[in-house]
Amino acid sequence: MIEVRQLTKRYRATRAVDGLSFEVKPGYVAGFLGPNGAGKSTTMRAILGLDRPTSGEALVDGRRYAGIRRPMHHVGALLDAGAAHGGRSAYDHLRVLARSNGIKDTRVVATLEQVGLAGVAKRRVGSLSLGMKQRLGVAAALLGDPGVLLFDEPVNGLDPEGIRWIRHLMRDLAREGRTVLVSSHLMSEMALTADRVIVIGRGRLILEASMQELQEKFKRDVLVRTPTPAALVTALTAAGARTQAEDGALLVQGMDAAAIADLAARSGIPIHELTPRSASLEDAYLELTEDSVEYRTKETAR
Amino acid sequence: MTDVLNSEWLKLRSVRSTTYILVAIAACLLGGALVSFLMTADWDTSPPDVQQQFGSADPSMMVVPFTQFCLGVLGALAITSEYGSGMIRTALVSVPQRKAYLLAKTVVVAGASLLIGLATVLLAYQTGELITGDRPEPISAYDSFTDALPTLLANTASLVLLALLGLGLGFLLRSTAGALVSLCALLFVLPTLALVLPSPWNERVYSVMLPVLAPQLAAESPGAPLSPAAAGLAMLAYLALALGAGSIALLRRDA
Repeated sequence: MIEVRQLTKRYRATRAVDGLSFEVKPGYVAGFLGPNGAGKSTTMRAILGLDRPTSGEALVDGRRYAGIRRPMHHVGALLDAGAAHGGRSAYDHLRVLARSNGIKDTRVVATLEQVGLAGVAKRRVGSLSLGMKQRLGVAAALLGDPGVLLFDEPVNGLDPEGIRWIRHLMRDLAREGRTVLVSSHLMSEMALTADRVIVIGRGRLILEASMQELQEKFKRDVLVRTPTPAALVTALTAAGARTQAEDGALLVQGMDAAAIADLAARSGIPIHELTPRSASLEDAYLELTEDSVEYRTKETAR
Repeated sequence: MTDVLNSEWLKLRSVRSTTYILVAIAACLLGGALVSFLMTADWDTSPPDVQQQFGSADPSMMVVPFTQFCLGVLGALAITSEYGSGMIRTALVSVPQRKAYLLAKTVVVAGASLLIGLATVLLAYQTGELITGDRPEPISAYDSFTDALPTLLANTASLVLLALLGLGLGFLLRSTAGALVSLCALLFVLPTLALVLPSPWNERVYSVMLPVLAPQLAAESPGAPLSPAAAGLAMLAYLALALGAGSIALLRRDA
């Protein structure tokens, strides 16, 4: 269980995270989405006690992270893949972490096998590929068999096989009843892994929803073709729908296809085409985050 | 706490930089021995009046300053390598209690530098004694082990101090280059600058410079500006400043 409450982190003039609140419960994969610089990593670092929040708090299983003894048994984290001393062997890197939390070396060996690095255990971290470093980071997160897992951009640098592996891993971890929070700036990736999404932009929460809710929310868009667009726009606008012209057609939001057809029939406007369209999750995401950018621009212009 | 100490000890042992530093110190011991050997050979063939003007053929004259720097590097790298590589985030996620983390690192660096420092100082002394044999002072540095003991202990203390100074600077500056430049400044540049100050400040400031604290702590020369106790206090002040500043940086700043 992860609880973020009114978290704000300010670096001099910029607010990296601004009054962010959300919860992640056990049993599902929570996708943490936002464009680059939205505050995802800062939020994760605050949850892990690396950054001190300017105000607000972040709790793991109801406790502040810094207060947890031997935290690797409760929380596993993959931050950036490079967060290891390049001169140490992969095995020694994990052993160093294991010892600090009283974890036995046999567990280190088992974890190396679990992530598929047993063959390169003696190689120095610096000589590993980015994908192998990601796997090493995942191994570090799994060492203490924790109930809460945080992954910051885990698919970066992984090959397709590795990406599929990590997807399955995260889903399996969630199915075992663990709390899983995965950050990404790619909706397409989260669409395949996450059950719920937390979308942030400019440090603020834009949306917290399940994948289905997100898809529902963004399917209202109907393409309409008519020989008299001006009349239809007037009628639709009067009825409270939003319209947008797109090469000879109208895109209507805020009203479903049946309602548009009824309205056109009542107003005597001929309709040549009427197609309900559902936005892809990618589009939905871009629209969401674009809004946050616009909001921000207006705010600074004021 | 034992867990964290174990982990820090393994950290120090499992990087190549530690090995390189030990090799560098060993090489310096060999170099020091060679210089002592050549000096002694020269002394043997010199007429008695020239023999009186010889300095002592003591390898530690060369070995101690070099090892001070080497252990300073060891202490600095113990933490700056973590900031440089990002390991610090992984480390603080596994040990979020920063005070315990700092304490464990300090204990491990102090312990390692005590072992290495004491071994180096004893080896340098023993080598010097073997080379000069039963020749008299000044070519032989000491009459007996008892005679040498205060200097040996003071030198060891200065080596541990330098390692912890490096560690403190590393915690404060978070950069290997920054910590090493500061160490060089403290060990080599500031003492020279102190000497060009107007009198009597040149001597006063010089007396608290790092390279001259160990000899004063051992009360080697009677006319030294600082008493052994004052020299010891000055060493503790360096330690407190560096580790204090370093711990504030660790505890207050984001990682």
